[in-house]
Amino acid sequence: MSLSAPYTIEFPFRRTVGPKIGTFLAGLREARLFGVRTARGVLCPPLEFDPVDGAATGELVELEPVGTVTTWTWVPARPGDPVAHDFAWALIAIDGTVGALFHCVDVGGDQDQIKTGLRVRAKWRPDRSGDLRDLWCFEAEAP
Amino acid sequence: MTLPEPVETTSSPLYMNYTYVAGTGRSVFLRGLNERRLLARHCPGCSLVYAPAPEFCSRCLRPVGPPFELPGTGEVSTFCVVNFPFPGQVYEPPYVVAHIMLDGAHNRLMHLVREVAPEEVTIGLRVEPVWVDDDELDTSTTSIRYFRPIGRPTRDVAAVPYAQTPIGPADA
Repeated sequence: MSLSAPYTIEFPFRRTVGPKIGTFLAGLREARLFGVRTARGVLCPPLEFDPVDGAATGELVELEPVGTVTTWTWVPARPGDPVAHDFAWALIAIDGTVGALFHCVDVGGDQDQIKTGLRVRAKWRPDRSGDLRDLWCFEAEAP
Repeated sequence: MTLPEPVETTSSPLYMNYTYVAGTGRSVFLRGLNERRLLARHCPGCSLVYAPAPEFCSRCLRPVGPPFELPGTGEVSTFCVVNFPFPGQVYEPPYVVAHIMLDGAHNRLMHLVREVAPEEVTIGLRVEPVWVDDDELDTSTTSIRYFRPIGRPTRDVAAVPYAQTPIGPADA
C-alpha cells in the first residue's frame, strides 16, 4: 500500500503594476470598468503596452460592464473559486473593445445555460479592495 | 470623467492543495524512517542500490529487491547554503541543504546539514543522521532532524561509485 499525504504549496507574493493596470484595478474598487485606447481599438483588461506593436497604450476609457461570451469551459466548483457551485471560465468580449477578458460566468450551476454569444453583465462584490476579485463574476443579462 | 487614483500593487498568489502519493516503492523507505531505519533496495538487474528506493530500477526497469538496512552514515555529494528568508521558513538563514549519498547506496537523499558552520561544509563531508524523539517519529524524512558531520572527507569525490557501476542488466 502506498502512503499519501496532503500538501499545500503557497507563494504569497504581491507584485507591482503599471499606471494603467493600476487605474483599472482602482476602478474595480469603485465598481467601474476601464479599458485603454490603442491603434486597433480599446483593450479590456488594459495593458501598459500594445502586445501587437509594442507602442505605449493611450487614454483610459470607462466601459459599460457588459459583454459577450466568446468561448468558455465548464468546471466543477472547488474551494477558493468565485462561486460555490459549478460554473464556466470564459473569455468575455466587453462591448466596444477588441480582445476579451477572462473571468467566471455564473449561470446558477446549470451547464445548459452557458453558450457562446451569451450576453453577460458584471456582478460586483460588496467588499472591494482594488483587485481583480472585486469583479465577483459575470451573470447572464436579463433577456 | 474622473479617473481613480491607481493602485500600485496586486496580490499574485499561487496557492494549491494537492495529495502527494509516495508509491509502493518509496513508502517502504518512509515506513523505515518511522522506525529509525534507513532502508535500501538492490536492483537485481544492474546492481544499483537505491536509498530511497523506487519500485522499479530507473536504469533497467526491473522491480527492485527486498529492503535491507544501511548503517545510516553517508557523505555530502553536493549542497547549497540557503541565505534568503521566505514565508514559512523553518530554520533561520544561513543554513545548509545537501544531497547526501548514504554509505552503501548509489543515489542521494536531500536533507539539512547542521551542527556545522555553513562555510565549513564541503563536498565529501562525512555525515550521520540525528533522529527525532520517539513521539515525533513519522513515515517522513522529518524523522531525521538533520545530518551532522562525523569527520572530514575520506575519499576522492571524483570516484563516485555509481560512475563505476556497469549500465544495463547483469545478464545481458
